[in-house]
Amino acid sequence: MNGIKKEKRMSREAILNAVRKNKPESLPLPEIDLGLFEEEINLVETFIDNLKFVGGRAVQLNNMTEIDAEIKKLYPNASKIVSCVKESALGTISINKETEPHGLEDIDLAIIKGELAVAENGAIWVTENDFTIRALPFITNDLVLIVSRNDIYLHMHHVYEAISKRDRTFGVFISGPSKTADIEQCLVVGAHGAISLTVLIV
Amino acid sequence: MKVGLFIPCYINQLYPQVGIATLELLEKLGMEVVYPTGQTCCGQPLGNSGYEEDSKGICQLFVENFKEFDYIVGPSGSCVYHVKKHFDILEQTEDVKRVRKNTYELCQFIYEVLGKTDLGASFPHKVGIHKSCHGLRGLRLGSCSERMDAHYSTEENLLKEVKGLELKTLNRVDECCGFGGTFSVFEEAISVKMGKDRIQDHIDSDVEVITGADHSCLMHLEGLINRNKQPLKVMHIAEILNSSI
Amino acid sequence: MAHADEAAIFNKDEAKVDWHDKALWFVRQKRDKSAHKVKGWEELRNYASAIKANVLSNLDSYLLQFEENAQKNGVTVHWAANAEEHNKIVHSILQKHNAKKIVKSKSMLTEECHLNPHLEAHGIEVIDTDLGERIVQLAQEPPSHIVLPAIHKKKEEVDVLFQEHLGTKPCDGDPEYLTAEARKHLRNKFIKADAAITGVNFAIADTGGFVVCTNEGNADMGAHLAKVHIACMGMEKLIPQEKHLGIFLRLLGRSATGQPITTYSSHFNKPEPGKEMHIVIVDNGRTEQLSREDFRASLHCIRCGACMNTCPIYRRSGGHSYKSTIPGPIGSILSPGIDLKKHSSLPFASTLCGSCSDVCPVKINIHEQLYKWRQVIVKDVPQPVVKKTALKMAGSVLANTKMYHFAGKSARFMLKHMPRFVIYSKLNAWGHARDLPEVKNDNFDEWYKKRKKNE
Repeated sequence: MNGIKKEKRMSREAILNAVRKNKPESLPLPEIDLGLFEEEINLVETFIDNLKFVGGRAVQLNNMTEIDAEIKKLYPNASKIVSCVKESALGTISINKETEPHGLEDIDLAIIKGELAVAENGAIWVTENDFTIRALPFITNDLVLIVSRNDIYLHMHHVYEAISKRDRTFGVFISGPSKTADIEQCLVVGAHGAISLTVLIV
Repeated sequence: MKVGLFIPCYINQLYPQVGIATLELLEKLGMEVVYPTGQTCCGQPLGNSGYEEDSKGICQLFVENFKEFDYIVGPSGSCVYHVKKHFDILEQTEDVKRVRKNTYELCQFIYEVLGKTDLGASFPHKVGIHKSCHGLRGLRLGSCSERMDAHYSTEENLLKEVKGLELKTLNRVDECCGFGGTFSVFEEAISVKMGKDRIQDHIDSDVEVITGADHSCLMHLEGLINRNKQPLKVMHIAEILNSSI
Repeated sequence: MAHADEAAIFNKDEAKVDWHDKALWFVRQKRDKSAHKVKGWEELRNYASAIKANVLSNLDSYLLQFEENAQKNGVTVHWAANAEEHNKIVHSILQKHNAKKIVKSKSMLTEECHLNPHLEAHGIEVIDTDLGERIVQLAQEPPSHIVLPAIHKKKEEVDVLFQEHLGTKPCDGDPEYLTAEARKHLRNKFIKADAAITGVNFAIADTGGFVVCTNEGNADMGAHLAKVHIACMGMEKLIPQEKHLGIFLRLLGRSATGQPITTYSSHFNKPEPGKEMHIVIVDNGRTEQLSREDFRASLHCIRCGACMNTCPIYRRSGGHSYKSTIPGPIGSILSPGIDLKKHSSLPFASTLCGSCSDVCPVKINIHEQLYKWRQVIVKDVPQPVVKKTALKMAGSVLANTKMYHFAGKSARFMLKHMPRFVIYSKLNAWGHARDLPEVKNDNFDEWYKKRKKNE
């Protein structure tokens, strides 16, 4: 075991030394001028258009109380439901940090709060804090994300500013349902992750 | 303005009519044109094949032949690009720097330096432009479909003023024809396939005459058209701009 | 076999070439449409290129910063000088956990290192979980494209392959059915996996985190279900700060497939309690490429595949014709740095049209590097005598006005007077499919001299 460890250190030093020897003179890190990308667009509309483009569905609601009725309408057959938001009482299966993710294999629906949304690409940012078990938004058959219309940002640049202070564990941008075009470039929705994605904009 | 006429080797030997049209066109535009008879080649065939080192004598000879002119103008985008881009292998004397800076492709010279578009030509045919890659992505004679810049095209600007000429738009506006110098023989299968596909695009777009600012691409396309007896004609843009049918 | 020979074989089936060309051109068009919607696309490319250049020029300090931050996050960091060491490290981690069933999401690095055969030789099952990769794995072929690994396969071929390996019903290549069956098959593998291996799209120096992008969700399904997650990365994947993802994630998906972003862009920072996360940083020739001034920028690559989709040669020769892990234009400037002799035909598999450089989201001057590799290759790799002699001779003839005039005259005389069967002999590769130009009476030179005389 000691041998391996020593070899490991040697490679590390060897690589770093080779980099030091071979790298060019230091080049500056550019300051990014976000003004170059600014554009006047309707954030909600653009977000909805892009979400549709990536295969997702957007529904605008007037307030939180409409959430459950809407979900019932959209997913009438869902019975095994994990709800991670206090605004929805549809959950039939409760999870906590100790829940074994493999047991979630046959979940019909997961309801999760999206922290913020990105207009330019229809993506929603969600983190482990929002769904407790990392596998949940992927292993569920269908996925509902709830996002406030005030949390939609124009570009990725702004989003990274907004999430810069978070506790970094695991987070993911989700843009539409899982999909593939690996068979002759034919787009098929529902590869390994959620087969559908609905975003409720409240 | 004293212009040195740069006639690339293959045009000199195989397409004298392109050289003649270029010369006549420049004279029509009031240029004092001289053709240095000592000229041979720009060295591109060697450079592109990996033998840049062996082309230094050629490049140096080019500079000797053209160093006294205000401008050096040639009807071949890729040769001009080679002079501008790859003469970095020579020692950068004042002569070399000046020659590299002042060498222009014909259309670019007419449009950018002389600021002219209407040359009084007429050519009542349906024309498709083959944009040579070195002219396009090397000399930036026009906007490239890969880049998100505003549309422009030097060749189009000139052809639009030709009376009776109907410019056709292709499905793939700036795909390579597959000539590529020695590529055309060493990668023969792909080269031929690329050429065939380009020609088909012109046929599908109702083109009668394929034109362009680089006759090496056109030579390749013409070779295929003639072999396959296709209903298309190939002409250098200088011939069209110099015509008054 | 040289690229030209492989390409000639591929071109025997012209209908398939047309199909392959159109499939990839379609992706290129999707990319164009998507990029057109972005205000400041060219500025994004400029920034991306400048950031990568900054990374390479400070790579040692960024690597150390990344390592320190990743370790603080509870991630184990390993360093591998070459493919062999990488494979040994991965195997040793698996051994420690007695892991026998592995799921792996797309990673060109593990392809480059030939990780699968190494693990399989030790009795470990490795399942590639990206659908395209699974298809080529079942077919026992390498990927033919870095983003679309099975782009060379027709749906009917996938149908047959799945019938044989997954027991599916014949379906005339119905992609919906085949994908649904693959989902079932791979779900089972995800659930049973002991460990997950993923690639890394971006590693962030100032947070120690890394980002993995997929459309299918396969990286996440693997990583979050298994007890151990091993992420393998080439050392050039680093970026300085998290905010730079704002630049790169805007470019990556659009350049790759025309999507505004991949479906999942997963940001891994800390392992879940009770689980392990490992990162293997791999050199395998990258520091050497870093030393080559002319070719260094090839390490900017973010593996979007746009240069393949746009390349008129790639589209008509297929990825397998390149015989290198990374095919297409970017592969043709990376591979000679790894094995110059083996890959010496690749820089010549190009017309130098430059489309690759213009489409590249990180502005790698690919076609200029192809030109530069050609200069290196004719010096360092023995060349066919005929080609070499001819070009060297051309070098002297064209440098001498008199010799040039003589040679030009002779060639024109030959073209004009030789019988057709001689001109179009087997030795003339130009003439197989193309006519030679018709020779006029005078060349331009002679015409000009006569005109001068008559003035």
